[in-house]
Amino acid sequence: MERLTLLCFGGTYALALVSELARFAVRSAARWYATVGLTALGWIVQTVYLANLARVHHKLPITTAFESLVMLSWIFAAIALYLMVRAAKPVAVGVFVLPLVLAPIVFAALLPASRRAEWGGETAFWGTVHGIFLLLGAVSSFVAVAAGFMYLAQSNRLKHKRPSRFGVALPSLEQSERVNREAITIAFPLLTFGLLIGVLLSLAVHPGAGAVPLSWSDPKILSTFVMWGVFAALLHFRYRPAYRGRSVMVLTIVAFTFLVFAWVGVEVLRLPTAHGVSRTVRRAS
Amino acid sequence: MKLLALGVDHRSAPAVIREALAFDERKCPEALDSLMSAFPGNEFVILSTCNRVEVYTAGTSENSPTAEHLTDFLAEFHSLPAAQFGGHLVSYHDEGAVGHLFRVAASLESLVLGEGQILGQVRDAYQAARERKSAGKILHEVFQNALRVGKRVRAETGMDQGRLSVASVAVDVARGIFDTFTDKTVLVIGAGKMGDLTLQHLKSLRPRQILITNRSPQRAEEAATKWGGQAVPFERLFQALIDADIVVSTTAATEPIVTYEQYARVQRARRNRLALILDIAIPRDFDPKIATLSDQVQLYNVDDLRQQAEENRKQRQKGVDPALLIIEQETAACYQLLHTQRETGAMLRQLSERYDLTVSRELDALFAAHPEFTPEQREAIAHVARRIVNQMLHHPRTALKSAAAEPAHEHPHSLLNAVRHLFGLADV
Repeated sequence: MERLTLLCFGGTYALALVSELARFAVRSAARWYATVGLTALGWIVQTVYLANLARVHHKLPITTAFESLVMLSWIFAAIALYLMVRAAKPVAVGVFVLPLVLAPIVFAALLPASRRAEWGGETAFWGTVHGIFLLLGAVSSFVAVAAGFMYLAQSNRLKHKRPSRFGVALPSLEQSERVNREAITIAFPLLTFGLLIGVLLSLAVHPGAGAVPLSWSDPKILSTFVMWGVFAALLHFRYRPAYRGRSVMVLTIVAFTFLVFAWVGVEVLRLPTAHGVSRTVRRAS
Repeated sequence: MKLLALGVDHRSAPAVIREALAFDERKCPEALDSLMSAFPGNEFVILSTCNRVEVYTAGTSENSPTAEHLTDFLAEFHSLPAAQFGGHLVSYHDEGAVGHLFRVAASLESLVLGEGQILGQVRDAYQAARERKSAGKILHEVFQNALRVGKRVRAETGMDQGRLSVASVAVDVARGIFDTFTDKTVLVIGAGKMGDLTLQHLKSLRPRQILITNRSPQRAEEAATKWGGQAVPFERLFQALIDADIVVSTTAATEPIVTYEQYARVQRARRNRLALILDIAIPRDFDPKIATLSDQVQLYNVDDLRQQAEENRKQRQKGVDPALLIIEQETAACYQLLHTQRETGAMLRQLSERYDLTVSRELDALFAAHPEFTPEQREAIAHVARRIVNQMLHHPRTALKSAAAEPAHEHPHSLLNAVRHLFGLADV
C-alpha cells in the first residue's frame, strides 16, 4: 500500500521533472505552469499521506528511515516549489531540485516501511528531536548541494564561453556560492546536534529485556561518523579562500552523498544494524 | 473592409528619404488630422521611427484612400515631389497589411532582429492615433493584436534574448557571475573606444565604484571625470586589481601587462573572490593562462565576447521560422475576426432596421384602423410593440455579439448563416 501511495506522488514529481526537462525543447509558458502545477499536486498528495501517517501512529512521521525519507522529500518539494515560483521563469531551478525531491522517494521505496523505532518514555521526546535535527540538517544539505550543482553548471558555461540558452538561465556564481555557504553553515550544527542526541540516546539504552543497544562498530554509526567528518572538513574548506568555488562545490556533493549513504545506504545494502529497532531506556531510579 | 499599409523602411529606402518622410511628435498629430479631414470615415495610424515611416489606414466606406491617395498626401504634407520617394514606397493590402504590422511588432522587419524598441514605438503610434481619435474599431483590433503578437513571439522564440554587440555581451557575462553590483568595483585599464563602450554598458549595472588607470595620468583623470569614477596612478595597478571585481582592460601595450604569476598573487590577496576580467585589448593585456587559475576568475577576451555575440545572433535567427509560423496563424485569426466583426455589425444593423420597419408598418396600419386611439394610447402601444421585438431579438443579438467578440469562436460563419436564413437577411 505504501509503495502504491509513493507511486502517486513520486510519479507526479517525475512528471513534473519531465515537464521541467522539456524546457530544452519546448518554449511555452504552459510548460512552466505544468511543472509547477504537477509539483504542487504531488506535494499536496504527499502532505495528506504524511498527515495520515502522523494520525495513525500519533507521532511525527520520522520514526523510520522510510518515513524520514518521505518527510525529507516533502520538505525538499516545498523548497523546490518555493524556488521555482520565486525564480524568473527562464531560470532552470527545477532541473536541479526535482531530481533531489525524487531521490529520497526512490530510496524510501527500497526500504521496509514497517520497521519502526519504538521510542517510549523519555526517549520519545529526544528521539523526535534527534530525528528533527537530522532532517533539518539534511534539508539544509539539500539546498547546499542544489546550489553546488547550479554553481558548477554556470561555471562550466562561463569557462567554455557559451551564451546562456534561451529558457535555461542559471543563477549567478555569486548567488549559488552564497546559498551554498549559508546552507552548509546551517547544516553542520544541525547534523552535529542531531548526532549528539542520537549518541546520548544510545548510551541511555538499557541492555536487558530484549533491548538492542547500538554498538560503535554498527555500520550505521560508522557511516554517520564518516559523514560528520566529511561535513566538518567541508565547513573547514568553506572558509579557506584557496578552496572557494569548484572545490567546495564538489566537496558539498561528496558530503551529501555520504549523508545519503548514512541515511539509507545501510538499509538499502541490508547491512546488519540495530539502529531504528525497538530499544528501551534505562529508567532513573 | 479595406486595410492598407504604405511606407518606407530601412530596406526599401535610404536614410535621406526616411528622414524626409518622417513624422516627428509635432508633425504626427497634424498629419493624422489632415488625413481624417481628407478621408472622413476612415481610420489612420502613423508609425514613424528612424528605420521606418508607415501609414496604416482602414475603412469600410467607398472613399477609403488608395496607395496613390496616400502617396499624394505624403508628397503634399512634406512638400516633396512624389517622384522623389514614390519608387521607395512599399504597400501591403488587407490581410497582408495585418501580417506586415505583426512582423514589424515582432521585430522581424527591424534592422536588429529581436530588438525591443519597436514594440514601444508601435504602442506609441497607436496611442497617438487614439488621442487624435483617428484609430477606430478596425485599427484598434489590429494594433492591440500586433502588440500581443509582438510579446508572444519574443516569449516563445527567445528572439530578444542575448545581446548582440561585443560591449553589451559583457553585461550578460557579468550577470552570470555576480548577483548584485552595488557592492562591486569596476577597474578600467587604459583608454579606448571599446573600453568606453564597455564601461557605458557596465555603468548601467550601477557598480559601487569605478576606478580608472592609465599610463597617462591626465587621460585617467579625464576618463574618471567623464564616468564619475576615481583615477588611480598606473603604479598602483596591482592594488587596484585587488580591489576590483570587474576589470576592463584596453591598453595599447604590445606585451601582456599582467602575467599569470602576478595575477595569482592578486587573486590570493583578494582571498579568491569572484573576478571578471574583460581583456578587450589587442594584443591581450592579461596572460590567457589566467583563465585556468581558478573557477573564481573568469577571463574573457574580445574574441570570446565577439563569438558570444555571434552565437546570440544565430540563436535569434533560429527563432525566425517559429516566429513566422506564429505570425501566420495570428494574422489569419485576426483578419478572420475583423471580417466576422464587420459581418456581425452589418447583420445587427439589418436586423434592427428590418424589425423597426415591420413594427412601424404594423403600427401605422393599426393606428389607421383605429383613429379613436389617443396619442398616449398610441405611444403606449408602440412602446409595447418595440419592447416585444427587442425581447425576441435579445438572444440572437447576444449570440452574434459574442461570436464577433470571441476570436476563438468555433463556428462564427455557421452562426451568421443560420441567423441570416432564420431572419431572411441579405448577404453582407
